[in-house]
Amino acid sequence: MSNLWFLYIFFSALLIFIGLYCLLTMRNLIRLFIAVEVISKGVSLAIVATGAVKNNILLAQSLVITYIVVEVALVATALALIINIYKKNKSLDVRLLSRLKG
Amino acid sequence: MVIQIILLCGLVIFSGLAILLRDLIKAALSLAVASLILGIIFFRLSAPYAGVFEISVVAGLITVLFVLTIALTKKGDEVAEARLVKMAFPIFLILFLIIDGLVMKSLLQKIPALPSGPEAGAFGDVLWKQRTFDLVAQIGVILAGVLAVLALFRKKEEDGDE
Repeated sequence: MSNLWFLYIFFSALLIFIGLYCLLTMRNLIRLFIAVEVISKGVSLAIVATGAVKNNILLAQSLVITYIVVEVALVATALALIINIYKKNKSLDVRLLSRLKG
Repeated sequence: MVIQIILLCGLVIFSGLAILLRDLIKAALSLAVASLILGIIFFRLSAPYAGVFEISVVAGLITVLFVLTIALTKKGDEVAEARLVKMAFPIFLILFLIIDGLVMKSLLQKIPALPSGPEAGAFGDVLWKQRTFDLVAQIGVILAGVLAVLALFRKKEEDGDE
């Protein structure tokens, strides 16, 4: 069972790495939020796999469902923000955001 | 075991494609396929409720939201990404694979995780009786999201003089 846990956690760490790499290096705002989604997939895979291995799948499922709800609210708000930024800047380049004046 | 490894590899490949593909619509669709595969993995881990949520909400609703946003921001995919980033990705990936394989096994024995032991009752009992406060928090988060979207799309108030 430990090998199975290692397999799932190995792949979830890989997903988190792919998302973090994109977050740190890319410039398109929509792509950055796709990266956030990829990271969240890695996290939910880790939670469910741990629950399955530790015979605690019901608790893990309820945690993942809560996590998915939070994720949806986050994505809806973030995409609304992206549309507003696009209306203002006519671009989705994240570097333009550093020119904001407070 | 073989099917699980194939599914996990598919999940990683489609997630990688979602990040590396140039066309944003194709990227959003490959993210949806990745969610679908994750849902199947949840089913195989005997977590059907999480699988249903993953497939219906993440693969369905979030993909629709992404496609809608991409359609509303048509010129958005003209943002040029640095070439070096995509070229260096395989190198960093291989480096991370090596580190992940070496370190993760010893880390797993040290990190505390969910308490192990057989559970009693059904999923409904756990969700509604043990994690009741989570449901209250979910309602709060949904309301906050709705209010945030409404606030971001409100129109400018017109002057009262006219």
